Amino acid sequence: MNLSFAGCGFLGIYHVGVAVCFKRYAPHLLLDKISGASAGAIAACCLLCDLPIADMTSQLLRLAKEARTRTLGPFSPSLNVQHFLLDSLQKLLPDDAHLRVSGKLHISLTRVYDGKNVIVSQYNSREDVLQALLASSFIPLFCGLLPPRFHGIRYMDGGFSDNLPTLDENTITVSPFCGESDICPRDLSSQLFHVNLANTSIELSRQNMYRFARILFPPDAEILSNMCKQGFDDALRFLTRNNLINCNRCLAVQSTFVIPESVDLGEDGTTTSNGRDNGNNKYGNERGGGGGGDCDDCRMHRQEALVANLPETVLMLFQEAIDSANKGLVNWLFKHRSVRLLSLLSLPYTLPADVVYATFTKFVLNAPKLQKSLMDMTRYFLEQLSLVFPKINVYYQPMPQTIKCHVNIMDYGSNMYSDDEPLLYKPHKANVNVTLEYDDNAKTWTDCGQSTNCVINVSNLTPSGIDNRQTASDNFENMLQATADREALMAYYYVEDGSKVHFSEIIDINDEDNDNRDNQQFSSDSETWKVQNNDEELNRLNSEMSSTPNSMINNETDVSTESNHQWYFNQQQQQPQSYQQQQKQQQQCTPE
Amino acid sequence: MLRTVERKILSYLKTSYRGSYIDIGSVVGSSDKIWTLSLNQQSTETPIVLLHGLGAGVALWVFNLDSLAKHRPVYAIDLLGFGRSSRPNFSSDAKEAEDQLVRSVESWRRETQLDKFVLLGHSMGGFLAASYAIKHPERVKHLILADPWGFPEKPSEVVQKRNIPLWVKAIAYVVQPLNPLWAVRFAGPFGQWLIETTRPDIIRKFSPILKEEPSLISQYIHQCNAQTPSGESAFHAMMQGFGWAKNPMMKRIDQIDSSVPITFIYGSRSWIDNTSGEAIKQIRSNSYVNIQVINGAGHHVYLDKSDIFNRYVQDACLLSDKYPKLSNGDEVKLATEIAQSNESEPAESAVEANNNKTAST
Repeated sequence: MNLSFAGCGFLGIYHVGVAVCFKRYAPHLLLDKISGASAGAIAACCLLCDLPIADMTSQLLRLAKEARTRTLGPFSPSLNVQHFLLDSLQKLLPDDAHLRVSGKLHISLTRVYDGKNVIVSQYNSREDVLQALLASSFIPLFCGLLPPRFHGIRYMDGGFSDNLPTLDENTITVSPFCGESDICPRDLSSQLFHVNLANTSIELSRQNMYRFARILFPPDAEILSNMCKQGFDDALRFLTRNNLINCNRCLAVQSTFVIPESVDLGEDGTTTSNGRDNGNNKYGNERGGGGGGDCDDCRMHRQEALVANLPETVLMLFQEAIDSANKGLVNWLFKHRSVRLLSLLSLPYTLPADVVYATFTKFVLNAPKLQKSLMDMTRYFLEQLSLVFPKINVYYQPMPQTIKCHVNIMDYGSNMYSDDEPLLYKPHKANVNVTLEYDDNAKTWTDCGQSTNCVINVSNLTPSGIDNRQTASDNFENMLQATADREALMAYYYVEDGSKVHFSEIIDINDEDNDNRDNQQFSSDSETWKVQNNDEELNRLNSEMSSTPNSMINNETDVSTESNHQWYFNQQQQQPQSYQQQQKQQQQCTPE
Repeated sequence: MLRTVERKILSYLKTSYRGSYIDIGSVVGSSDKIWTLSLNQQSTETPIVLLHGLGAGVALWVFNLDSLAKHRPVYAIDLLGFGRSSRPNFSSDAKEAEDQLVRSVESWRRETQLDKFVLLGHSMGGFLAASYAIKHPERVKHLILADPWGFPEKPSEVVQKRNIPLWVKAIAYVVQPLNPLWAVRFAGPFGQWLIETTRPDIIRKFSPILKEEPSLISQYIHQCNAQTPSGESAFHAMMQGFGWAKNPMMKRIDQIDSSVPITFIYGSRSWIDNTSGEAIKQIRSNSYVNIQVINGAGHHVYLDKSDIFNRYVQDACLLSDKYPKLSNGDEVKLATEIAQSNESEPAESAVEANNNKTAST
């Protein structure tokens, strides 16, 4: 049989009572899977890890007391419930907690981004367990703004989707709200209506309304103590009713064959094919008797259970808490209504101080982390910037460039082809040509082009411009040779309307001189342009293309406009062939 | 609307059923009609009559009709003022409203010409069934109460009001004069959504038949309760405080003729106090009272563990068939006997054996 604890915030004290009872009278029930949400998950974890109940209780009482002393209760900025939980769990959980609870502890979580329920049961480390518990008890706004992560995904309180996770038919459900659960307070009411919120059935009664309000606002120690007692009594009633109380010796015997039996029962229950035996075995007197737990010890045990109460240690803790809340002048003072009212009225003045205090402590606590996160953040920011800026360049620069180069290109073409050569690329060597206006721009872009690779794309047009201008005296043949000798660094192919394929190459000629110069051939009104660079792979293409450019170039040099037209035609005729090659080469080139 | 939804739900039934309006004349309103589902009418066995709970209707018995109709005629009715039956204005007096409802059931019986039957009531239907058994014990062969409402007395105010803060009392005070299911009607078009969000458990219980249309059950419940709250106001009249009966059955259970055997079927998780069953056992020490608790079932015990529930009902019916005079102390002996016979042979053969026996006698 599995246990399932409902999530219930500060009513978790009820679970403590139930846990005490189970530990004492039915430890065999704690061997199986235990599931829970929120406070229920914490209770389940503590049970599975076999933590001392007294510690749990005192932690819970301390938290309740902390919350109560503040005017805003647990909503006070200076009280960090999550932090408190983490602290106490860190202190209490054993080092091998994950080993103990893995596969047994089922924690119900709500995934933040789609609100779906997730039940986790495998934990790789102690931190995992802690994270899951914290995530399961994270109530947005109450505990903080950002939900914690578990395995990289943000989760919040399991109570929002499945507050009472049931693993199979034979799950004993424990809920501090009167309703349709196995162990729950049985209020004196004959209420007919109940609602089912997140799988927890809650009766619509005055008591439950009161309890509901106490989920977030802890009641005083006396009421907490009563709730704990109630949990103990309810659990005990359940155990006696189902004959689950046996002495340890009988349990040891039983555990060898009753537990397998209970597994069978579970299967029966789910298939409901054998429902009859299921019902009979589990209920009625047969089970207890059949389990062999009918010795004197067992009877003694049961008798004792009838009059049992919470263990002394726990009771003492409650007593202390009650006393500490009642004794002392300050407490007496604060109990008075007038003082309460006063503290409420003074809230507008105390709240800012509280907030400041909270922020300050948070800052101090996070200072070491802060540095790292700040560094991370700046790095991230810079990376983003460096990513973004080139892009901006790409988009900004080509526009004016291309437009301006239109004019140039034609001239370059003619210049280029009439001249040539190694010298060709030396800066400022050649005569400046037609388009003076663009020189400045062009130069700046060249610089850019030389400095970064990215920008080369952009500056394609311009360097060539410069080249052309500079190398007005160079021969085209030389250039052609240069292009034929070397492979293009980059080649651009693109299809324009009318399915004309155009391409350009960038050829690196740093053997001759150290300059990276781009050699471009612009043909016509910028619709086709070709930047050639020296690389072997493009050679093939170049050689093939060279025939046409050659003739055409000659034309260009002579009669610019006409030649342009011719070039077009040539290009178009060549299309199918060259296009394929171009594509191929593009593929090859892109990795570079 | 309600009709189509009901038909869709009932299409799950394997047994053929007949739905009809039984005209019962003027009992509460001028001409009242009671919507009745009848199954296996040609059987000569003792019929069983099913009375549903508050806010429910005949279609919610969908998991029980087949199995019960195997052996005997089954009649499931929408109580007057609920479901598809007519919705007259009931008296606002607790006693009178109860009488009106019981009278409507009796008129219905007269119209359908049933002589003696097993009466099964759930929740509020259980309360009415008990009330019917007080007035017409000669008609009731066996009274089966599934998690009946309205048995325990309301505890004194002193006990109950303790520890309840003011704001809770205030809310309770505001809600009290309203009909129990006011929220469903108040929500208007969102009523169905309200049912789906507040009672997903009921809808889950029907999951085997809701493959194509998951909203069928919520539609049905919504349609049942979105109309004029006539039966509901009758219930409100019989109720006091927060769900307590004004005339609790506990006080009157001794008025039921001692020859009427009673079987209680409770769900172990149910919040309707099943200690009252034990107390009744004490009170009716010279007649047959059997208490069955179904583990893992809640208030809707006939849905949660329908198999076990059906078997318990079947057992109780068989028992009354077999032994017309059941008395105190028989239950243990007889229950085991029945259980044994059920285990050793399939239920059908048990019925046959039973038939033979009745034939021979």
